[in-house]
Amino acid sequence: MTRRFSRSRNGLTRRKVVHGAGALAVALAAPRFAFAQTPKRGGTLKISNGGDPPDFDLHQSATYLTEFIGAPCYSTLLRIDPNDYNKLVPDLAEKYDVSDDGKTITFHLRSGVTFHNGMPFTADDVVYSLDRIRQPPAGIVSPRKGLLGNVENVAAPDPLTVVVTLKQAQPDFPFLVSNPYNVIVPKQVARPLDASGQGMKRQIVGTGPFRLKTAVDGQLYEMERNDKYFGTPAYLDKLQFFPIKGEIERAVAIQGKRIDACFFFPNESVLATLRKNPNVKELRRPTPTFVNLIPNVTRKPFDDVRVRQALSLAIDRDAFVKTVGPLAGAYYHSRGLLLPDSPYSLSEAEVKQFAGYDTAPGLGGDIAANRKKAMELLEQAGVPKDFKISMLTRADVPAFRDSSINVAAQFKTIGLDATVDIRDPGAFYALENKGDFQLVAHSVALSGALPDQILGEGYTSYGGRNYGQWKDDAIDEMFRAQSRERDQAKRKELIHQFQLSFMKTFYQINLAWVGYGVGYGTQVKGWNALPDLYANMQLDMVWLDS
Amino acid sequence: MLTYIAQRLATGFVTLFGVAAIVFLVLRIIPGDAAVMLTGAGAGVVSEEDLAQVRHKLGLDRSIPVQFAEWAGDLASGNFGTSLRTGNPVWTDIVRRFPYTLEIVVIAMLLAVVLGVPAGVLAARFVGTWLDRAIQAFSIFGLAAPSFWIGLLLILGLVSLFSWSAPLYWEPFWVNPLGSLSQLIWPSIAVGLRQLALITRMTRSIMLEVLGEDYIRTARAKGLPERTVVFRHGLRNGLLPVVTLVGFEFAALFGSLIITETVFSVPGLGQYVVQSILNRDYPAAQGIVLVLAAIVVVGNLVVDLLYGWLDPRTRVQGAG
Amino acid sequence: MTAAVIDPATAVTAGAPVRKTRRARLWRMVRRQPLGTFGAVVLAILAFAAVFAPWIAPFDPTAGDPAALYQPPGPVYWLGTDGFGRDILSRLIYGARISLAVGVGTSLLGVVVGAALGILSAYLGGWVDSLTQRVMDALLAFPMLLIALTMATVLGSSLHNVIIALSIPIIPRAARIARASTLVLNATTFVEAARASGCSDTRIVLRHILPNTVAPLLVIATAYLGLAVVQEAALDYLGAGIQEPASSWGLMMSGSATTLALTAPWIVIFPGIAICLAVLASNLLGDTIRDVFDPKLQRDFPG
Repeated sequence: MTRRFSRSRNGLTRRKVVHGAGALAVALAAPRFAFAQTPKRGGTLKISNGGDPPDFDLHQSATYLTEFIGAPCYSTLLRIDPNDYNKLVPDLAEKYDVSDDGKTITFHLRSGVTFHNGMPFTADDVVYSLDRIRQPPAGIVSPRKGLLGNVENVAAPDPLTVVVTLKQAQPDFPFLVSNPYNVIVPKQVARPLDASGQGMKRQIVGTGPFRLKTAVDGQLYEMERNDKYFGTPAYLDKLQFFPIKGEIERAVAIQGKRIDACFFFPNESVLATLRKNPNVKELRRPTPTFVNLIPNVTRKPFDDVRVRQALSLAIDRDAFVKTVGPLAGAYYHSRGLLLPDSPYSLSEAEVKQFAGYDTAPGLGGDIAANRKKAMELLEQAGVPKDFKISMLTRADVPAFRDSSINVAAQFKTIGLDATVDIRDPGAFYALENKGDFQLVAHSVALSGALPDQILGEGYTSYGGRNYGQWKDDAIDEMFRAQSRERDQAKRKELIHQFQLSFMKTFYQINLAWVGYGVGYGTQVKGWNALPDLYANMQLDMVWLDS
Repeated sequence: MLTYIAQRLATGFVTLFGVAAIVFLVLRIIPGDAAVMLTGAGAGVVSEEDLAQVRHKLGLDRSIPVQFAEWAGDLASGNFGTSLRTGNPVWTDIVRRFPYTLEIVVIAMLLAVVLGVPAGVLAARFVGTWLDRAIQAFSIFGLAAPSFWIGLLLILGLVSLFSWSAPLYWEPFWVNPLGSLSQLIWPSIAVGLRQLALITRMTRSIMLEVLGEDYIRTARAKGLPERTVVFRHGLRNGLLPVVTLVGFEFAALFGSLIITETVFSVPGLGQYVVQSILNRDYPAAQGIVLVLAAIVVVGNLVVDLLYGWLDPRTRVQGAG
Repeated sequence: MTAAVIDPATAVTAGAPVRKTRRARLWRMVRRQPLGTFGAVVLAILAFAAVFAPWIAPFDPTAGDPAALYQPPGPVYWLGTDGFGRDILSRLIYGARISLAVGVGTSLLGVVVGAALGILSAYLGGWVDSLTQRVMDALLAFPMLLIALTMATVLGSSLHNVIIALSIPIIPRAARIARASTLVLNATTFVEAARASGCSDTRIVLRHILPNTVAPLLVIATAYLGLAVVQEAALDYLGAGIQEPASSWGLMMSGSATTLALTAPWIVIFPGIAICLAVLASNLLGDTIRDVFDPKLQRDFPG
């Protein structure tokens, strides 16, 4: 994955401020899109999500239910180019510079921007927002705390400049800070709400192309175009989000033209019904979402690596992908810890050396032999026959629920008495957070596919996804080493080593990757499906052809 | 009569208080506390300090009697608290959702009575014929079929046969009566089917018994037309047990309603209470359960009054 | 065979004719109560399936066949497969275990505990009676599913917890009936006589009151067996009851089944039919028991 910002050829020795503006300047000058038709103005886009957002605070959330509602109303410093997933284009920051040593990033903000409530946008709001994410105030929770963990300080020398100082150089940083969840909130609104513990959960006050007008729990979330938006005004007049839990119902509503789009379809049979309709576009694309078996290593017998290996050996990943794929979108498999088609993927030979991973589609593993080996390992580790395992999981997301059901059934083949403890989200997170579980099949949905994002959040002890509570300083240090490495070739080798080192611990066991489907009527134009669930959801370039 | 009502209302209040206490206590024992639910939906590991702070802000770390006293006090002044999830006052959420639930209950009971009583009468009148057997078969089915299964099948049928899709806006009755009826008729059928079956069966067996009574024979001997015999003399007495049945089943009807609202995604009280319990939204769950229980208590009172009006013999007894 | 003249209509002799009379009596009962018999037979079949599931079920109910995902009924999988490729017939058979265990367990527990409470409170009278009455009333004011849902969420979702949770709404209803019965019986002359002759309370309760309350309680128990099966399915459907990969009829209709229902309706139809059959059977049986014991009971204890 290439990062397009130009750098001084003289490298680190010259104390020259390098302008990271190359690609950005190009992006600013070039037309934002090239359409065959001229976009029409006006209209209301009707979208369906699979339920109500638990709240509106994007900093505290990690579910698409909140992100889809918040994205059109907020802005980030930079955002992913809707036409090229590997590029960043300006949002609230017109351009940014990276210092020679890579430790200081200076963002130059747009002027004349106002929030939806009329307050002027300044650098203070950026400072507050970034600090809110990396050092959340009391009572505020920040899942992406670790993502900005390399930030030493954020300062605003003047109202239109923000200076971020990093602890060590981090080439991926601009992408990390542009995570769609890292929106800029108004300090004057957020600070008192944070102090009272409520946070930005009940209101949306942003700088985005749309403004939240009505929110009726269980029925409708309506947004109207922000005519004071700093960018090109959106084409649509209004957005309406309808929470519809059933996938069939959402599909039927699209076919009946009662809604225009749904950007979350896990189930294949539902997409198949949409496929038959010439007036509907549907597609499924891979996203940076992976299903991992996460054992609680503080509980016996999961502290024994042989037991974790046995768990991995028991799973026929080919059968898993074939079964859970149509139900949840878990169709893909990777070679290593990064995305299926990542340039950092391991070789087949390397992957096969890790117990159980050879049953991935196409790798020709022998599941019967694997399971036999698993039983031997369990015996060596002293795990009795019919040992009870309860797999904690979530009821409302197929990638959690159906993965767990399939895994539990597979565990029976190695003599484990596995049941699935399907809980509603409340109880699920309560137990998972307390560490009150044996084993979880967790579908980790990230936004962004960079090594720092995936490895940093999913595979370090301090990352936000260490539900299993493992601790390994060596691995953490390996992560930091690759994170600060600016030489591409050296970094690739470090990432390579990181993956090999982590995978042999089996602290987390990867099963498959998930791609989500979308479906929308042909009247919806201007929306591009990126290989990411959360990016490109501001919908400012979408228009209706009707 | 008035003393009777007053007595019953007083009993009702005591009952409600008991209900409130039970609900309050039970919800506090449920594993998975609200603090984590509110902070955790989808996030990574949340530290204990963060959770403790959220809990403190919500007042969940105080002792249970203190929390209960505060809640009871608020209730007395009409404040049902604030939903932990939506942030709206619970009362506002209840008031917004109540019409849909009420409408389903009313339509379901109306369907059950308006269709059930005549069906039972017909079956009794033509006992032994194919009509009777058909009605009996239908009511046996209606009793046995789980309401959420019926709901699922209804949705399937509507979707595949009529390309029906769930309403995007659920119209309240006063905004658009016909539209609202057409939306809520389906969940009402699923909910009311069992009541319909029960009332049909009950009416039939009562009518059969009654039609054999002496005074009926007398009426017939007097030469009164069959219709008068059946309706004026037979039905009036037959209605009593039907009314009792309705009272008996009122609470049961709410059970069906809760799950049927979930199946059809109707934004009513039933769906709200299920979500609140599953989401550990204490204030909301407590409030709705209390309201639902109050409805049942009031409903039973109405039924008892009806019973008293229909059968003067029972008015003498005042005991519940 | 003796040489004496035997009148076939009144013959009561040893050997073959006696057996024929017993069989004849059974046959007469079946003919007079066809529906009840049907109910009993269906329940017996379900019980048989439940007990002998491992031998009867053609496939492993938890093992999915990735090559046969949501297949329609066919020669291999008679009732089709679900979203995981699991055989529906096998899951129905194993599901019978759970449904019947819960149905029987719940109604038994609820009726026994409720009857005990009702009888005792009526017998002891006074403030004990009043307090119990109030508590029972409070419980009765809740919709049954709501209590079950809350209790299942509190207790957790294993089989015995579900049985306990579902029995709680039944307790006040059984208590009410037992109490009414006891009040009536308490006032009868033979109980008074028993008391006068110095019988201990325990004796009176066990010997005189209990046997006479059995009939209406039995009716209630069969009626609530069916209801318990439905409520259990509802709990599973909502996710608060039995958990995967166990096969429960309610569970079979939830989760991925609802998403696949349009393309694979058999996944949702068959479990519902199974529930209908079980409820139907228990209702019919209950009706028959009621008719056999006392037709008048129908008026007092409807449903």
